[in-house]
Amino acid sequence: MLSVDTETKDGVTRLHLKGDLTIYSAAAFRETLLELLVPGLTLEMDLGGVNELDTAGAQLLLVAKRELAAREGQLKLHNHSPAVIEVLDLLNLAGHFGDPLLIEAH
Amino acid sequence: MSKTIMIVDDSASLRQVVALALKGAGYDVIEAADGKDALSKLTGQKVHLIISDVNMPNMDGITFVKELKQNPSYKFTPVIMLTTESQEGKKAEGQAAGARAWVVKPFKPEQMLAAVSKLILP
Amino acid sequence: MNLDQALITFIAESRELLEDMEAALLRMEGQGEGDPETVNAVFRAAHTIKGSAGLFGLDAVVAFTHVFENVLDALRDGRLAFGGELAALFLECGDHLQGLILRVEAGELDAPPPPVEAELLKRLRAFLADEGSKKAETAPPKTQLPREKEASVRPLGGNGVQTDHWHISLRFSPDVLRHGMDPLSFIRYLGTLGQVLHVQTLSDALPALTEMDAESCYLGFEIAFASEASKAEIEGVFEFVRDSADIHILPPNSQIEEYIRLIHELPEDDLKLGEILVRCGTLTDSELTRALADQRAGEEAGAARPLGEILVESQSVQAPVVDAALDKQQQIKTQKQQETRFIRVDADRLGQLINLIGELVITNASAQLQAQRAGLSDLIEATSSMARLVEEVRDSALSLRMVQIGATFSKFQRVVRDVSRELGKDIELIITGGDTELDKTVVERIGDPLTHLVRNSMDHGIESAEVRRARGKPATGRVILNAYHDSGSIVIEISDDGGGLNRERILKKALERGLIEPGHNLSDREIYQLIFEPGFSTVDQVTNLSGRGVGMDVVRRNINELRGSIELDSEEGKGTTIRIRLPLTLAIIDGFLVGVGASSYVVPLDMVKECVELRGEDMAKSTKGYLNLRGEVLPLVRLRELFDTRETAGGPRRENVVVVGYGDMKAGLVVDALHGEYQTVIKPLGPLFSGARGIGGSTILGTGDVALILDVPLLVRVASSHEPALTA
Repeated sequence: MLSVDTETKDGVTRLHLKGDLTIYSAAAFRETLLELLVPGLTLEMDLGGVNELDTAGAQLLLVAKRELAAREGQLKLHNHSPAVIEVLDLLNLAGHFGDPLLIEAH
Repeated sequence: MSKTIMIVDDSASLRQVVALALKGAGYDVIEAADGKDALSKLTGQKVHLIISDVNMPNMDGITFVKELKQNPSYKFTPVIMLTTESQEGKKAEGQAAGARAWVVKPFKPEQMLAAVSKLILP
Repeated sequence: MNLDQALITFIAESRELLEDMEAALLRMEGQGEGDPETVNAVFRAAHTIKGSAGLFGLDAVVAFTHVFENVLDALRDGRLAFGGELAALFLECGDHLQGLILRVEAGELDAPPPPVEAELLKRLRAFLADEGSKKAETAPPKTQLPREKEASVRPLGGNGVQTDHWHISLRFSPDVLRHGMDPLSFIRYLGTLGQVLHVQTLSDALPALTEMDAESCYLGFEIAFASEASKAEIEGVFEFVRDSADIHILPPNSQIEEYIRLIHELPEDDLKLGEILVRCGTLTDSELTRALADQRAGEEAGAARPLGEILVESQSVQAPVVDAALDKQQQIKTQKQQETRFIRVDADRLGQLINLIGELVITNASAQLQAQRAGLSDLIEATSSMARLVEEVRDSALSLRMVQIGATFSKFQRVVRDVSRELGKDIELIITGGDTELDKTVVERIGDPLTHLVRNSMDHGIESAEVRRARGKPATGRVILNAYHDSGSIVIEISDDGGGLNRERILKKALERGLIEPGHNLSDREIYQLIFEPGFSTVDQVTNLSGRGVGMDVVRRNINELRGSIELDSEEGKGTTIRIRLPLTLAIIDGFLVGVGASSYVVPLDMVKECVELRGEDMAKSTKGYLNLRGEVLPLVRLRELFDTRETAGGPRRENVVVVGYGDMKAGLVVDALHGEYQTVIKPLGPLFSGARGIGGSTILGTGDVALILDVPLLVRVASSHEPALTA
């Protein structure tokens, strides 16, 4: 399950994602994004609590990024959890999102 | 965080061997004797993959998958169905019910492990 | 849990399945048809055995079961009709499988298969051949992984590209995620077969958020993959999405035409794809330029460029959905099988638990005794409530080992079927009381005596069809197995509606053999019991069933060893009933403790009817060996004389009689003191005492003294009949 806490401060909307961003939560998360997406929005997603990310989740992040960019807003991903880093790495998407990743030293 | 796999088969020895192989590879395993037993054990916890026999008493694999697809917590969980090469008709039924992955009985533990790994790594 | 333990589970499971299969086959044979449920049950048994055997690498079991299963499958699908020949063949196949399982157990699987296997396979295949070419027998499954490496693919001409890695293009059908297949997992798995050099994620197909179905898949992937794996292995990665994805796999150094064709076939813009291939390192810039130029040239020329053979078939067709047939299948009612959940427990561990509880019973009896001696009422109370609990624990532990006799009875369906064919008699077996429970250790040991008795009833009891008709009986003979509980024992009855025993013939034979003295007046029952005497046989003709050297005396000895007894009722012309009485368990009994002189004896409590004090006039009479008990003649057994008991100083002040009954016989045991009820754990007698008749076991009292457990059935029989005197 995915829980999303929303917080708006200084014109920036922050989403704190906790749980699984997978096909089980994709439909609901899409609804959340639809409600939030307005032109010019800066959306920050805190992905620190994401335990699992799958294709359904990844493509929602891609759509959000694209739609915000098209409306002069932007998507910023931060605090990537290990599960998120693994997927962005695997799909070679880290560069596409362009957010700084904190790579843990092994 | 290790991934959880449920094995549903009416043969206890088959379950034991499969569970041994999967646990050895680093998965967590839940065993169930038939579809009904499996449904009673699926109580909302996360299960990443289900391996189910087709031909079982109480509730067969096809009915089980159909029920699974009705359950919001498990409807997208991948299912590997165990079948025999002589059960082509069952495969069509299973596909209609929503199963996409098949492993033909009899199989070796390493074959099962390979099939599982394609869908989910430990 | 390890593999050896799983193998033990497999052996036990296969046995049960084969027993169930046999029962189902016999049911089918009896009905002359196979209803879908029963046929499916048989099929499932074979299927399950094959599946598990494969996991253990028991290829001999798999190979045979495979052919068997094919025939069962044909029967299940209605491609074969059920008949007597098929039933007989299936039963033999079941037997053969049982034999194979025995070999597994003995670790002798490598031995060459018995000749019967080839013959059975031939007969099975004949049915498959009969069934025609509608569905050829499927090839025996390979249980090995395809390990052979394909020869690496080398370009034929000089048009190969420079790169030495595989290129994989993946486009998924929208439904793939809903089916639980995550493209990410396949890419991850590729990583276990080699090195994923580069992944390009294509999101071109991704619609606007408003249009998008979040559960559909819109992403595509171009992958550069370096691996020593064979093409088949790489294809195998995608076996589960073959039907729901467009997959292109190009081997290293493929002809440039392959890449052109790939670019052309993929949905994305050609130029963009070309760039992606370059980014993947699959094509170099110059190769791409040449490729696109070649392609354009070809198009302008108006003729299709001859492209090389495609190396990988792409299958983008969605599997047809077959709904209609499915609903119909669902209508077949699913028989609710009784829901039982079992834990398999090693019998030895259970035995150990019961032994420990036995020790606990003794220890607690000792504690109770000490409490009584100390006269501490609180302690007495505590120990007695403990005793109650221990008793409950004992009962539930023993009940763990209780099994229904039904499974044992069911095995006789097969015996009756086979023997009746052998004898050319039409005989049916009727089973009642199958849910009667008794200790597993007892069950295991009554199989042989029962088999002998059932065979005996069929062979000597049931008459031939002509005789039966002449006597006005139905042509089909009847053997009935029945079981019930009776005062702490289980009674097993084997009855037949045959000719009954011939009283005169038995008498004559007994006289000939010197088993009885002429002129003795014997009751019918006493006469019938004679057939259990060693060396007694009334058969006039020896069939191949009798004359096995196992007589009724052996049966009786076996039953006696189980602390049981056997008796026989018969009515000439009507039939015979043999009644076996067995203790429910061999481990613990509730006893009645009595004293004779300085010795203690235990009488099984459920056999004690009442206790009577011997008074003056009775004392005198009792020396004759009889007592008048409310007008009934009660034979007496004087334990003092029987066991030559060591006396306490002063001798007994008074005597008591414990009236014991077994079956419908009674006797009185003359003792000194009555100590009351006593829970007793039976310890087997050492070899030293094995010759002592009248003693069934020993136990240790709370005081540490040893008490002997009396073999009441024997004592009663001796007292009330003419058995030889009891001397060791």
